[in-house]
Amino acid sequence: MKLVYTLSEPQKRALALGEGETVWYCVPVDLAFDNKKKGAEVAYADSTWIIVTDLRLAVLEGDAKTAEYKLADCEKIKCEHQVYSGILTVFGRDGSTSCAARFSMRHIIRVAYVARGAQTIIDACGRGRKLSEADRVTSREYEKYCEKCGRALPGTSQCPYCDGKADMLKKFMALCGEFVGRLLLISVLLLFIAASSLLTPMVQRWFIDEALTDGSGTFTQLCWFIGISFALLVGSLSLFIWRYWLCAKLGASISMSLRRKLYHKIQGLSLSFINNRRPGELMNRVSRDTRQIREFMEGVFGDMLSTLVTMVVSLVMMFIISWKMTLLSLVFVIVVMLVTRAFWHHIRTIFHRQWLKFDDLSSSLQDIISGMRIVKSFGQEERESARFTEKTKDFAAVQKKNETFWATFFPILTFLLGVGTYIAIYFGGIHVLEGEMTVGQLVQFVTYSGYLFGPLSWMTHLPRQVMQMMTSLNRIYDVLDEEPLLADKEDSKAFPIKGAFCFENVSFGYQTYEPVLENISFSVEPGEMIGLVGASGTGKSTLINLIMRLYDVDQGKILLDGCDLRDIQMESLHSQIGVVLQETFLFSGSILANIRFAKQDATLEEVIRAARAANAHDFICKTPDGYNTYVGEHGYNLSGGERQRIAIARAILNDPRILILDEATSALDTESEFLIQQALDRLIKGRTTFAIAHRLSTLRGASRLVVIDKHGVAEIGTHNELLEKKGIYYGLVNAQLKMSETAAPAETA
Amino acid sequence: MSEQNENEMPDLLNLQEFDEEALKKESEEVLQMRLLTSENAEFRRTEGGFIALKFGEKEYDRVGVYLTFPLTNPEEFISIRETDEKAKEIGIIQNLKDMKKDVQEMIREQIRLRYFLPVIRKVMDVKDEYGYAYWHVMTDFGVCRFTTHMGGDAVINIGGARYQITDIDGNRYELPDLYALTVMERKKLDLFI
Repeated sequence: MKLVYTLSEPQKRALALGEGETVWYCVPVDLAFDNKKKGAEVAYADSTWIIVTDLRLAVLEGDAKTAEYKLADCEKIKCEHQVYSGILTVFGRDGSTSCAARFSMRHIIRVAYVARGAQTIIDACGRGRKLSEADRVTSREYEKYCEKCGRALPGTSQCPYCDGKADMLKKFMALCGEFVGRLLLISVLLLFIAASSLLTPMVQRWFIDEALTDGSGTFTQLCWFIGISFALLVGSLSLFIWRYWLCAKLGASISMSLRRKLYHKIQGLSLSFINNRRPGELMNRVSRDTRQIREFMEGVFGDMLSTLVTMVVSLVMMFIISWKMTLLSLVFVIVVMLVTRAFWHHIRTIFHRQWLKFDDLSSSLQDIISGMRIVKSFGQEERESARFTEKTKDFAAVQKKNETFWATFFPILTFLLGVGTYIAIYFGGIHVLEGEMTVGQLVQFVTYSGYLFGPLSWMTHLPRQVMQMMTSLNRIYDVLDEEPLLADKEDSKAFPIKGAFCFENVSFGYQTYEPVLENISFSVEPGEMIGLVGASGTGKSTLINLIMRLYDVDQGKILLDGCDLRDIQMESLHSQIGVVLQETFLFSGSILANIRFAKQDATLEEVIRAARAANAHDFICKTPDGYNTYVGEHGYNLSGGERQRIAIARAILNDPRILILDEATSALDTESEFLIQQALDRLIKGRTTFAIAHRLSTLRGASRLVVIDKHGVAEIGTHNELLEKKGIYYGLVNAQLKMSETAAPAETA
Repeated sequence: MSEQNENEMPDLLNLQEFDEEALKKESEEVLQMRLLTSENAEFRRTEGGFIALKFGEKEYDRVGVYLTFPLTNPEEFISIRETDEKAKEIGIIQNLKDMKKDVQEMIREQIRLRYFLPVIRKVMDVKDEYGYAYWHVMTDFGVCRFTTHMGGDAVINIGGARYQITDIDGNRYELPDLYALTVMERKKLDLFI
């Protein structure tokens, strides 16, 4: 992301850079803020810039400087997130707080980086250190818009418009690329089909003119005619079936390949991409959109080539027979074409709308079904079903409207085309009566015009089908073109992990302008168990997400055995991490399959060992189907503690070097907690472990505790060290002791 | 009981030493709705463009103004909060109209500073390309061009003929009444509504 825009000459003059002073950051803002009255205005700002040099922070409006702050007088410069906007706030050393600029969400990320950059300069100067290039804050984030054409970039660094036309059709061709052989075979078949259907009228004409009209025909000729016609018919019919068969297979292969790519892609994409989309929407893209493409390949694509050939040849033949009559019929073709074109946009719009409504409908259905327990327990079934009915009605109304539109639009077109044929017959009849044309020729002409007009009405269908396919393709490529934020580099390393962690000035936020963790530094020896303590929302789970590299750090780095996490192959890293989360998710399948999730080829003995270590073996044996017990949506009902223990078995099966326990024992009854605690105690031996727990007793085995508060590490040390310190941890321990005292009588009562 | 405990957990962190009395007091305070009125609250503008508050014994150099019902009741139940991370509530202004004229003005200025919700007055053009829609509209902030996804969440109905549009940057635009637009303008929105 660009953080240094170029200033114009008059702007530079207004800024009046001193000797040796250089511009470090320069970014635009877009909301008007009156710096004299210090008030927000209801207007967009025109050409307003925030500029940070090594000495000052300045705001330029047009060619005039409206605010200026000496960095030496500043304590802090912050980009404050407001509601759908942000402000740049300057905290002076004299205790003053001042708003300097205002901007919409469009610029907030940029300004957040600049504020961080300015802060770096303030901190460096405060310590009397000379600034160096290493102090410059840079952003790896992609721009959202193309600088050249202003179009939105689909999560890529390059604009598909400006840098090489990534036309959808091209993509479609690329998609078909894998299937060239089959496509060629289909094309050849299609040509044969076209040829056989084009031959039929010629045979007809020969028979009528040579045998029927003048009554000179023989029985042999009749037999020949029937024989040839029948052969052509059978031939084209079998070719037709073969072609359909091939197209169906091709369609299925293409949609399967797309579905596989999509699924693979979605798995590879960062969690932030998936969190930004509704689950129903992504599901639709995998299932519905790929189906749409399969249907297109089966129903439309196969016909396209043969129909086009048939039409062109028919047209040529018609011209040869009578150019006048041909031109006459063509008038109608043009009328129909014009009508279709006029409706093209409308057709696209109404079907996109139908799509939207369907998306909405399936999302809300999922909503209601997932929340069924809540709905029922609050007795809101009636209202919810009314709400759903409303949505179905909405969808049905749009669908009805669209289909009605088609049902009217389509017959009118067909009628127009039919009229064309009648006119041709009328004029042709006159020609025959006047002797300018033979009866055979007329029949041939009418048959060819049928070939021309018949598909024409089908071609009016074509825009709708092509459009539907394009919309689906668009939606699919929307996902496929998304560039994964976290990807392995070519020189990524894979090695057996020892488990020494080192956090160096790590900062991270799910949104760049809202840091969750700031400037975290501490190191962990291999085999240590680190307990993470802190109030909810302070970033404990975030820290764990960073360790697992589900997200990349914004600033600083995490070293694992001296190697930057970003330089380690993801698969190698993840195969050596075992995770037990608070919410244990078991997949539909057997207990065996669930335990084997991370290591598919584990032997049965290994599985049992893991289950034993997790204290799960006993209860599994008691279920009727043992390890083959089916769990998941329609399966055997496991209790929370049982699920938790299966999750633990899953985590240890792999013999991971690093273990992550995120509230692994919360919300369990005392007995299960005891069992699980035992299992965990066995588990953490010799492994680097990060554990989050609200109940501090769970962390009594920890070698050290890290207290996270206010986005950073507040305290770090052993249990005893922290107690002696009488800080946050001491307060927490006391609080829990008191609470268990007061809670205990209440529970027994 | 246990639920209450969980709510209190964050506060415990700030206590140097555990004090049961303070804790109880705090949980009582959460239940109370402290109203700020012309009598008990004294607002004044600061030089930096914010507002300061004197409430009872306490003085705050800068306070935040949070609307609790920004869409339906923007001038009622305005929550005045501290500006640090925790943004603890100082009190609530039940109805802005009951405050003194100059205070009303001050608060409105702060709302203008904090909230950016442009209202669409006119739709000049909406065109779609490659899965994005490019809008060209007139808002109360002036002429504006923005981009939305074509997907389902870009334009949502928030009751009646009222719509909310979210662009790819995360800005929100409001369309207060679909039927206040001309037929031609509404046609341009066909893709979404």
